[in-house]
Amino acid sequence: MSETAAVDATVSTPATQDAVVRIENLSKSFDGRMVLDNVGLTVDHRKILAIIGQSGGGKTTLLRCVNLLERPDNASMEVMGETVFAGDRLVCGDLAKLRRSVGMVFQRFNLFPHLTAVENVMLAQLRAGIAEKEALERAVQLLCRVGLAHRGVAYPEQLSGGEQQRVAIARALALRPSVLLFDEPTSSLDPESTGEVLRVMRELADDGMTMILVTHELPFARDVADTVVFVDGGRIVEQGTPAEVLGNPREPRTKAFLASSTASH
Amino acid sequence: MLGLALALLRVSKHRVMRWPAAIYTELFKNVPLLAIIFVTYFGLASVGLRLGVFEAGSLSLVVFYAAYLSEIFRSAISGVHAGQQEASEALGLGRVSTFTHVIFPQALRSALPGTNTMFVDLLKSTSLLVTISAAELMSQGRLITSATFRALEVYLVIAAIYFVLCYPLSQGLLWLERRIRAGVPLTPGRRRRLRAAKALLKGAVA
Repeated sequence: MSETAAVDATVSTPATQDAVVRIENLSKSFDGRMVLDNVGLTVDHRKILAIIGQSGGGKTTLLRCVNLLERPDNASMEVMGETVFAGDRLVCGDLAKLRRSVGMVFQRFNLFPHLTAVENVMLAQLRAGIAEKEALERAVQLLCRVGLAHRGVAYPEQLSGGEQQRVAIARALALRPSVLLFDEPTSSLDPESTGEVLRVMRELADDGMTMILVTHELPFARDVADTVVFVDGGRIVEQGTPAEVLGNPREPRTKAFLASSTASH
Repeated sequence: MLGLALALLRVSKHRVMRWPAAIYTELFKNVPLLAIIFVTYFGLASVGLRLGVFEAGSLSLVVFYAAYLSEIFRSAISGVHAGQQEASEALGLGRVSTFTHVIFPQALRSALPGTNTMFVDLLKSTSLLVTISAAELMSQGRLITSATFRALEVYLVIAAIYFVLCYPLSQGLLWLERRIRAGVPLTPGRRRRLRAAKALLKGAVA
């Protein structure tokens, strides 16, 4: 009980000093269609936030706004205490620096097909000015961590989906980001590969990695997340602890979503 | 080089950059090479810009093939999946690094077959320069024929010489294509990096 209360406290106090990502009043539209409408969220250090909801509800767009792959129309955003977006303007002086502190894992892996696994993990380090030897050692260490040291010199096309996604996680960790973003990391994987990837993500969670994940894996969200956010129609309908949102939802729309996704699984 | 520059202009976000390149490409793609050769050699000379045979010939070939190569490069660049650019940006790579380390190497792979054909075609098209009396093979052939009256033998030999020049070129490019496709490192730097990686990974597995 006390644990739930502690988690609750971090959720209900948006202005803690520990916030890694803080977003307020975020709006985004594509061609006049409102995709996100005045959304806000806060993720504290070493916490895990899971975003759930139907496809097309704005989850992925919300995630992509965090590292500014998608530019909000309007928002107030802070990453690691630094304001990166205010009103309708980008105020982040160094976009590359922001992106190096925010790692991202994509649904379709997006590994670089012309490079081997180990080179995929090295590339960003080398471009960031890290010495070759150091970059290689870090890459090997990360491949070991995701259990793929034996596949290090394989090209992405020679790897299974689950292996590719694990390399992608290693790549996202290469620059020691403060927060990792996962965009439906297991949605294009078979059940076995999904298990592999979730296992790696769970280890990261246990190590205290701050993460924001967009996922359809509700049982996984229930297990690892500190906060669950249900997004629908471009708005945050409900947020709270997994026990609250997934176990005992207040909003009818959340209930409907949970009922339909339980039925489809 | 000109072809690549044009291709880059054509995938640009800005209309002012795209348009001139598009006009250039459409113009030279739809005019026969022979006409371009005549314009640069005879046409420009008539308005006072007299180019030598070699200059006029080279210029014609460059402007003509740049138009075709730009088309090949453009489709290769836009054929690289959008997710690649995103992944690269998400890793904090800038625009230049993203292009040189992520987009270009992948575009090169898909552009090679077309480029291969174009290079061989360019080499063969030097035969058209006979019309402005360049000292290329066909002109030499015409001289020898008029001295010896043995047209069949002379032109067969010339065809054979063209074949001997073009075949290794196209085979060489095909070989390069296969090496790249098989993932063989082409530069010494990359070979060294992969060797070091293999050694380190072996130690990590053991």
